[in-house]
Amino acid sequence: MEPPKIWREKRERYLAIGIQCQDCKSKSFPKTSFCTKCSSSNITEYRLATSGKLLNFTKVTSTSKEMNSYAPFFVGIIELDDGIKVTGQIVDCKFEDLQDEMRVRMVFRVLARNGEEGLIRYGFKFTPE
Amino acid sequence: MSNHRVNIIGYGMTKFGEFYEENSSSLASKALMDSINNSVIEKNEIQAAFFGSFVSSSNSQSSIGVNCINECNMSIPVSRIEAGTASGAAAFHQAYLSLLSGLYDCVAVVGTEKLSDYVRNESIERILGATIDSHWEFEMGATLTSLYAILTKAHMKEFKTTLEQLASVPVKNHKNGVHNPNAQFRREISINRFLNAKRISDPIGRFDPATFCDGSSSVILASSDFIEKHTNLETTIPVLGAGQATDNLALHHRTSLTKLLATEYASKNAFKMADLTHSDINVAEVHDSFPIGEILAIEDIGFFAKGEGGKATENGETEINSNITINPGGGLKARGDPFGATGIAQIVEIVEQLSGRAKERQVDNKNYGLTQNVFGTGAMVYVNIFGESEVKR
Repeated sequence: MEPPKIWREKRERYLAIGIQCQDCKSKSFPKTSFCTKCSSSNITEYRLATSGKLLNFTKVTSTSKEMNSYAPFFVGIIELDDGIKVTGQIVDCKFEDLQDEMRVRMVFRVLARNGEEGLIRYGFKFTPE
Repeated sequence: MSNHRVNIIGYGMTKFGEFYEENSSSLASKALMDSINNSVIEKNEIQAAFFGSFVSSSNSQSSIGVNCINECNMSIPVSRIEAGTASGAAAFHQAYLSLLSGLYDCVAVVGTEKLSDYVRNESIERILGATIDSHWEFEMGATLTSLYAILTKAHMKEFKTTLEQLASVPVKNHKNGVHNPNAQFRREISINRFLNAKRISDPIGRFDPATFCDGSSSVILASSDFIEKHTNLETTIPVLGAGQATDNLALHHRTSLTKLLATEYASKNAFKMADLTHSDINVAEVHDSFPIGEILAIEDIGFFAKGEGGKATENGETEINSNITINPGGGLKARGDPFGATGIAQIVEIVEQLSGRAKERQVDNKNYGLTQNVFGTGAMVYVNIFGESEVKR
C-alpha cells in the first residue's frame, strides 16, 4: 500500500476513528466528509468501540506479496458494540477456536511488511476476549 | 421503439487458456476480426468499438482498443470500459446505449484480458483485491476468495446447503465444457475431486474457483434500421432487456450475505424492459467464479426459490435441456475466466444457443436467453436478456 494512502487514513488505521452525524446521530466507518445516511456535513470524529462479536470468518491461505508471510491467517466480519461492522483478522488463536458470535476485542498489530515501498504497515486486528 | 431495437449480428472469440506467445491486443484483434467475418458485413461499416478490459496494464498498455484497431487497420472511435470482473458486460452495456441513443447504427464490442503474465500468490491477488473494498477489506487481510468463502458459509448455515450441492455446480459445468471448443478445460471432473481437495479458504476447495486465463471475445451490434438495409445477415439476435445494479462494495456493509441484491435488481430491470419473467428464460450463462456464485445467481434471478439453488443443482435441474439450462458453455469454471472477455463470451454462448448453432451442447427450447456478469462479490451486476428472433415478438 502506498505511503500517501496510509498517511491519509492514519486516524482510521491507527486510532480507529470514524464519524458521527450531529444531525441524525448515525455512526459510520471509515471517515467520510458527509454522513453516509443523511448526507449532512455536520459531523464529528468518533472513536470506534473496541470490542464486539465475530459474525462470519474464514481462513486466508494465499494473498498479496506483502501479506503472504503471515498466511495462513483468519479473517472475519466483526460487529462492534456500537453497531459498526468491519472486516479484520482474528489473531492469537487456533482456527478451531473460532465460533460465530464469539466475543473479540480490538488490538493494534503489524498488517504487512516487505511491500514494494518497504514500509511496515500497522492497523487493527481482533483477538478472542 | 422497434426502430431502436439493438441486435447482435456477429460474434467471435479466441479459445480461452494460457497463450504465452500472444499479447492482449493480438488476442483482441483475432476476436474482433472473427466477429466481423462472422457477421458478413464489411469492416468499414463498423462505426465505433467498445473494449472491456479490467487490467489496464495488460500488455503494459492503457486503452488497449487503440492497439487492436490499429492492428485491424481500422480508424474508428474506441473506448475502454472498466468494471473489474464485469468489464465485458459493462462494455456491452455502453455499446448498447450508443445504439439506443441513435448516434451509431453498427458498433463492435470486444472483451480482452491477458492474465498468464501475472504471478500467482502475488500480483493476481492484488489485482483481484481491487474488486472488493481494497482499503477496508483487502488491505485488512481479506481476499476475493475469502469473501466468497464467507458468502458460502452464510448460505450453508441459513439453508443447510451442503458441500456436495456446491460441488455439483463445477461438476455440471465441466461436463458442459467438454463440448465447448473454446473452453480452457474440456474434461469432466468427478465430484470427489472437489470434495477431497485441500481447502484454500474454508469451505472453498482448491479446485472450486474458476481459473484466471487469457482470451478475447467480440460481438457486433446493429440497429434495426441497419438490419433492414442488410438482408443477407445470418445472425439477428435482439437484445430485449438490459439491467445493471450496484450494491455496497464491502460485504460488512451489506444487509444480507445470502443474496446478491445487485443481481436481484439488475434482473428485475432487465425482465421489466423485456416484458418477460424468469419462467420465460430457457438458457442462461451466469457468473460461477465460485460455486456459490452460480447458486446465488439462479436464486436471485428467480429461477429457484431462495435457499433451493444447491438442491436444484444437485438434482440436475440446471443441466442442459432441464427446465432451465445454466452455463451450457461450461461457465467461467470450464471456459476459464479472462475477466474482460468473460462477459462477452457469455453473450457469445447465448447467441450461439438462440441461433441453434451450439452443436452437442445445443438446448432444444431456445426462445429466450439470459447472461449475468458480476463485479467482485456483487457490488455491480449486469443482466442481459436476448430473444431468438424479432419475429416471435
